[in-house]
Amino acid sequence: MLVTRRIKDVAAFAEPGDAGWARFEPVRIDMIAAPLVMQPTEYIRNSWQGREYGADPGLEVAAVHDGLRWAVRVSWTGVSPGGTDFPDALALALPVRGNPVLMLMGAEDAPIHFLRWQANKPGVKSQLATGIGQSTNSGPELDCSARALARDGRWHVVITRVLGSRGDVAPLEAGGKTGIGFAVWRGGNDERGGIKAFSIDWAELVLDA
Amino acid sequence: MSKRQVAMVMDLNKCIGCQTCTVACKTLWTRREGMEHMLWNTVNTQPGAGTPHNFEKMGGGFKDGVAQPGIRPTVEDFGKAWEFNHKDVFFGGKSDISLAADGGRHGKGPNWDEDQGGGEFPNSHYFYMPRICNHCTHPACLEACPRKAITKREEDGIVLIDEDRCKGYRFCQEACPYKKIYYNEMEGVSQKCIFCFPRIDEGVTTACSRQCPGRVRFVGYLDDPEGPIWKLVTKWKVALPLHAEYGTEPNVFYVPPLSPPKLDEDGNATDEPRIPTEYLVSLFGDGVHHALETVRREQDKSRRGEPSELMDLLIARKWLDMFGPFQKHPRDAARMRPIPANRQGFKNPLGEKDPLSSDEVMASMAESSEPKASTIRFFSKAEYKNGGRA
Repeated sequence: MLVTRRIKDVAAFAEPGDAGWARFEPVRIDMIAAPLVMQPTEYIRNSWQGREYGADPGLEVAAVHDGLRWAVRVSWTGVSPGGTDFPDALALALPVRGNPVLMLMGAEDAPIHFLRWQANKPGVKSQLATGIGQSTNSGPELDCSARALARDGRWHVVITRVLGSRGDVAPLEAGGKTGIGFAVWRGGNDERGGIKAFSIDWAELVLDA
Repeated sequence: MSKRQVAMVMDLNKCIGCQTCTVACKTLWTRREGMEHMLWNTVNTQPGAGTPHNFEKMGGGFKDGVAQPGIRPTVEDFGKAWEFNHKDVFFGGKSDISLAADGGRHGKGPNWDEDQGGGEFPNSHYFYMPRICNHCTHPACLEACPRKAITKREEDGIVLIDEDRCKGYRFCQEACPYKKIYYNEMEGVSQKCIFCFPRIDEGVTTACSRQCPGRVRFVGYLDDPEGPIWKLVTKWKVALPLHAEYGTEPNVFYVPPLSPPKLDEDGNATDEPRIPTEYLVSLFGDGVHHALETVRREQDKSRRGEPSELMDLLIARKWLDMFGPFQKHPRDAARMRPIPANRQGFKNPLGEKDPLSSDEVMASMAESSEPKASTIRFFSKAEYKNGGRA
């Protein structure tokens, strides 16, 4: 269970190197490689057969909120060297409505809202998924940000977003409860799309009132 | 499966390697940022490494119907667009400077081994081989894409990438055995030859075929018995696919080149062709024997003054007959109706910089039921000579 403690102001916590984060014990999230049988095309299944990918990156998560804004700090091992074809990346998933299955990336009537950070681009991208291979390039608009820090072979990324809910923005309320999932791509290993490490099922995310 | 398939035949006996096709395509379609290295149409010298260099060793395609792993060509493999120090050379005021590409650190260009060819003097040989996307019947790119961003049009089998769906995963680049898909780093999407579909939709043939001064390229439907493609591919069997063993059923076909005789040590002509037939077979398959024999036989008939439908076709006495149902002049097509706005997720190649044919303008005109004058200004020959004035 990931408990989001309420603090006075999350502004300083937007920086992954902020000393304030030390006060909050991170939660370890188990991750596995997205199974080859779930890859949507024969080409991907054949070309990745026998290749290693999606190694458990030792993902650790801590989160805070101040009643208006939520900040989550995600750390994992796997900083790729520069100049690779694909970037290191992180996505966090929140259910929008209708109890979507995380492993299936949601469904038409049960979408999942993703916030995606990637090492070669500033900020965070909002995306909506309604199934495997069915995520949009642009999801619901919301006020969100991402800052990243690479240190000692580990990425430390803080993603922030406003609390609340609107349209396809996943609901996140003080005093509320929802699920959260994660995916990590090691760009240096050509990981992209479904070739990734991901948390198999929703972890419980609780926000202090 | 598409209802019909549009296809192209290139007669390699006539290609002079002038790259007019390459330039026609480049100026029409690949002028956006991130497209600098893209040449959706290339012409390479054979035998040679091709573009991207050594593409035949990069994998992909199908073996016994099973998708094969492939590698992604880099910008360097394609041959990046070099930057020259023209300013320094011409205006820098330094006498000891000479022209250099990429500061003298250039890699191989897209046509690095032009006119190199193969064989030893006096039997040196080469021919030119233009390549575009093959708009395959069994496209490895389409089947590899996890985003379903690649589609094959039902009405004519043209294979297109929807740039709004593409996320730049580049599995298509790996899977295409012909390595005819490029990646736009600026836009994060894959891009490739679109068989000039906005022209085809209006009955105008592709820019590469229409601009070809050598009358190399035939365009039409594969199943049209009145058209040139069916006659060359199915009736006469002189046009063959490149590397059919890749298993994608390409829809671009080649008439293999004839060659002068090989010379012996004394300089006398032998019975062997200078371009080794086994090399042509390695490109176009066993059908080469029949194709060469047929062309030679029909050539002899023609020399004897006998009629030959095949020779008339290949010589292309009537230029427009080369293009099957796509014989309209682009100017006339544009006058009747503006080129339709992008219905396939393909963006205006000039982007926002194009003041006359933005997607919005095209969309508004396409929605109108009344034919309007084109927003694209074409000049008649007389107007052109007079500086664009009537």
